[in-house]
Amino acid sequence: MPAYYLEIIVVLLGLAVLTFDAVGRVEDKRSLAGLGVLGLIVVFFLLFKTSKPADPGSVFWKFYATDALAFFFKGIAILTTIVVLLMANDFIPVLQRFGPPVEAKAHPQSGFAEFVALPLFLCAGLMWMASANHLVSIFVSLELVTVTFYVLVAYLRRHELSLEAGVKYLILGALSTGLLVYGLAWLYGATGALDLSGIEGALATTENPLPALFALAFILAAMAFKVGALPTAFWIPDVYQGAPTPVTALLAVGSKSAGFIVLMRLMTPFLKSELLSGKVVAVLAIMAVATLLYGNFAALLQSNVKRLLGYSSISHAGFLVLALASAPSHGGALETPATTVAFYLASYAITALLAFLVLSIVSAARHGDDLNSFRGLAKASPFLALLMLLSMASMAGVPLTIGFWGKFFVFQQAVFSRLWLPLGVAVIGAAAGFYYYFRLIFSMYLETATGADGNPLGKDTLTKIGAGSRIAMILLALAIIGFGFFPGSILALLR
Amino acid sequence: MNQGIEPYLLVSGILFAIGFAGVVLRRNIIVIFMCLEMMLSAANLTLVAFSRHYATPLSTPDYQAHVLLFFIITVAAAEVAVGLAIIVALFRTRRSIDSDSVSALKF
Amino acid sequence: MNESLDNYLPVLLQILIAAGFAVATLIASALLGKRARRNEMKDSAYECGMLPIGEGQSRFSVKFYLVAMLFVLFDIEVVFLVPWAVVFKEAVASGATQFFYGMLGFVGVLFLAYLYALNKGALNWKES
Repeated sequence: MPAYYLEIIVVLLGLAVLTFDAVGRVEDKRSLAGLGVLGLIVVFFLLFKTSKPADPGSVFWKFYATDALAFFFKGIAILTTIVVLLMANDFIPVLQRFGPPVEAKAHPQSGFAEFVALPLFLCAGLMWMASANHLVSIFVSLELVTVTFYVLVAYLRRHELSLEAGVKYLILGALSTGLLVYGLAWLYGATGALDLSGIEGALATTENPLPALFALAFILAAMAFKVGALPTAFWIPDVYQGAPTPVTALLAVGSKSAGFIVLMRLMTPFLKSELLSGKVVAVLAIMAVATLLYGNFAALLQSNVKRLLGYSSISHAGFLVLALASAPSHGGALETPATTVAFYLASYAITALLAFLVLSIVSAARHGDDLNSFRGLAKASPFLALLMLLSMASMAGVPLTIGFWGKFFVFQQAVFSRLWLPLGVAVIGAAAGFYYYFRLIFSMYLETATGADGNPLGKDTLTKIGAGSRIAMILLALAIIGFGFFPGSILALLR
Repeated sequence: MNQGIEPYLLVSGILFAIGFAGVVLRRNIIVIFMCLEMMLSAANLTLVAFSRHYATPLSTPDYQAHVLLFFIITVAAAEVAVGLAIIVALFRTRRSIDSDSVSALKF
Repeated sequence: MNESLDNYLPVLLQILIAAGFAVATLIASALLGKRARRNEMKDSAYECGMLPIGEGQSRFSVKFYLVAMLFVLFDIEVVFLVPWAVVFKEAVASGATQFFYGMLGFVGVLFLAYLYALNKGALNWKES
């Protein structure tokens, strides 16, 4: 089976969800999410059954890469979407309160089918991004993801914050699209090719670097928006806070990982060109330093957990850009930069998804996502508190969690490519990370929460966890520890 | 006949700059959105100019760039549809499309 | 002068005529008409007709917007259909049989989208 069938299957799955909802009378719409999850699990296993292209020379494969990296990121996209759909199931009460206006005679869960189908379409976009190898396929897949996010971020139409986040994401996202398109047009102008191998060939022999650098500036600014790195990362805290929590998870993990593989593929021709690579590395290193400083130090002041995770996502983007900057001169490092980035993103995906799962349950039960909602969580629900503890430890990079290895490989890359200043900033940033991640743990274990009436919040509301989310949380927690002991098993997938 | 590619690039660059300035300076969200579309058009013009520049020996333009251009047009339409829907939803709750009114989320 | 630019001469002429007509009418009416003195009496509605009240910009229903949006979305598919139709004969002659089914799939997705819009009542004109 050719690899691109997977994306087609996922799109058909999304269409099937919409059609079932429209034609059949589905009583409990959670079964639609169940259908999506089951379908995605099947697709995940089909990922290992794909065949090599029979005619690698034909035009189609110029648009579509089938290397190990592509499959790895497709896997991340599918697993992320599965977790997000499980989260969406527990999110129905919030949707009913703030979602699209419902007429009196309509189904009480109406509007949920779209909330399932849109992440499925988005997943197909993310998977396509992982394979995008041509400016056209990069642009189209990226926009499929972005436009779907416009809808999802503003999905809680009667909730002021969600709507406002939607507008902000819309304006800045469209701005980044404009920058990207103009950059791509100039990249084509500088090289005369639209497929990345052709661009690589043209850049290797170019004598005038100016048009390519001009294009690079626009492309970097636009891609920085997608991955949440600094010149254009200021939308992240606002949009993360305002968007529905499952969407925030998808935004943090899916958008970032797929954005990074596209950024990696777009940067490769530049980094391989002798004339340009030095300049590109300098720009990337500056981006990394700025992103690390902004993400980590702004996170120190946050009292809203969703915003905190937003700033933490910026700081993770900083580490990733640093890994990218150390690409060409990795010399004696054990892993290639692409592997480092892929590993870091896998670790971030596992860790962040667990954090968002816990967050969505806690914030739904306690009607808020500020630090106060997490106070005394250890007494109210030791299970959730332990999971959050694990996730925060992995985010901070405590040894023997998967997050530690991600940071370890990045530092190693930076050492071997002698990026001392960014490395120093990264170490300081990681130390700052310990502070704000552990402050959350401190709140959960050592403080008691008080509700609006001044009484401590009880455990009663926290016991309603769907079976699907429960299984997903346990699996993710096991993955954090398991891969923390055996990081090699992820690296083996990338070879 | 070929008077070079520069005038086209200049015009598209000016178009892009006007669009960008509009996004940054204007306060009306609809106008901001129009300026964003202008930036996409500027990119389209650049693409067409370059595709003429890289003409094949038979002097037909390089149609690859035209493919990207078609996709840009389509995506722009989709973006406008979704974007206007969100702006309408915002207007219904706020009675305003001034971008300064979008300020509940703060640092 | 070259040949290919000559092809655009009629277009240029048309633009000039259109613009010239508009300008000429304005100038003519300014020259031939009497200088009007404006006063309140003169600006008010004459005998019958609506009194000028309310905003200059009239509001219109958001339903129009929805229909216009759907129109744009389904209209833009032509951008892909036309190039496809242009090269269709050649492509099929050279043995690319999947060429037809690819477009069938594309139109199929659009058709599903149309059914979805229909089912959601987006094209209902009367209600609400």
